[in-house]
Amino acid sequence: MLMPRKPPKGFRKPHHPSRTGASKGGNRVVFGEFGIQALEPAYVTNRQIESARIAMTRHIKRGGKVWITVFPDQALTKKPAETRMGSGKGSPEWWVANVKPGRVLFEMSFPNETIAREAMRRAIHKLPMKCRIVTREVGEV
Amino acid sequence: MSEVKISAEPRTEFGKGGARRTRRAGKVPAVLYGHGEKPQHIALPAREFAAAIRHGGLNQIFAIDIAGAATTLALAKAIQRDPIRDTFEHVDLIIVKRGEKVTVEVPVHLVGEAARGTLVVTENQTLTVNAEALHLPEYLEASIEGLEGGSRVTAADVTLPGGTELAADPELVIAMVTVAPSAEQLEGETAEEAPAEAAEEPAEAAAQA
Repeated sequence: MLMPRKPPKGFRKPHHPSRTGASKGGNRVVFGEFGIQALEPAYVTNRQIESARIAMTRHIKRGGKVWITVFPDQALTKKPAETRMGSGKGSPEWWVANVKPGRVLFEMSFPNETIAREAMRRAIHKLPMKCRIVTREVGEV
Repeated sequence: MSEVKISAEPRTEFGKGGARRTRRAGKVPAVLYGHGEKPQHIALPAREFAAAIRHGGLNQIFAIDIAGAATTLALAKAIQRDPIRDTFEHVDLIIVKRGEKVTVEVPVHLVGEAARGTLVVTENQTLTVNAEALHLPEYLEASIEGLEGGSRVTAADVTLPGGTELAADPELVIAMVTVAPSAEQLEGETAEEAPAEAAEEPAEAAAQA
């Protein structure tokens, strides 16, 4: 499961990251031929990323390559159930990637486009927001 | 590649508001410069420009007619797009002359099929070449026919048409042919991941407690 080795001091219990605006970078397919692009903002947890990756790699079996282009580096905290308010911030519960619209989360290289699209469709079902499949535009400037 | 005639009109208003008004009117804000000329701010028709790029690629040459004045030949130097709507936000056009040699990035197509049981990984999808502005190749071809695992295709292996010179490093890797992992290896990977994940979870719980 993806997560930082050790969060730097002062980043163990951060405020919730901003969910407004569109993605500033990582909006294009650069490694593979196809990609999964987010159309809505979301916090994508490391479990969801792993689940989507497994769904994709199990479908393509062999002869392809998958890249994960987001990293869950933000900790989200949660207070235990039935606890009164106060007494400090809760303990880290999830590791998430702060995904904004336009961000490419996964990329794939596979010779058969139909199989690649089906694998990505299966992966999209594991993600918490609307996504679409995008293809690389060769020679883009 | 033949040039596409496109009529443009000079832009009089600038900045965020002006650019948005131009886009709402179905036009793409653009700037035209090069060859020591003063930059000209123009607006291109969005539909025609998008169609030209879709059919001719990013190295399409445009014959731009600005408000009925003399026609200028230009090449798209930088294109800004909206990542979600896929519309053109702004275009930088550079003036080119007939017979002038320009440096452009041309897509490389891999032709043929590598040996069975191999995986072709494309490292670079484009190649930088010098060519005459009005005779730019649409794409270049590199053969991977029958290549075995462990072999690679470099820029020097790409077939260049006449009048085109390689501007990139000849050793630049275009594609690598590797041996595809077998079904057993893939199963082994998944099996290795499962115990590793199970080991991580108790450690996390202990850290939180």
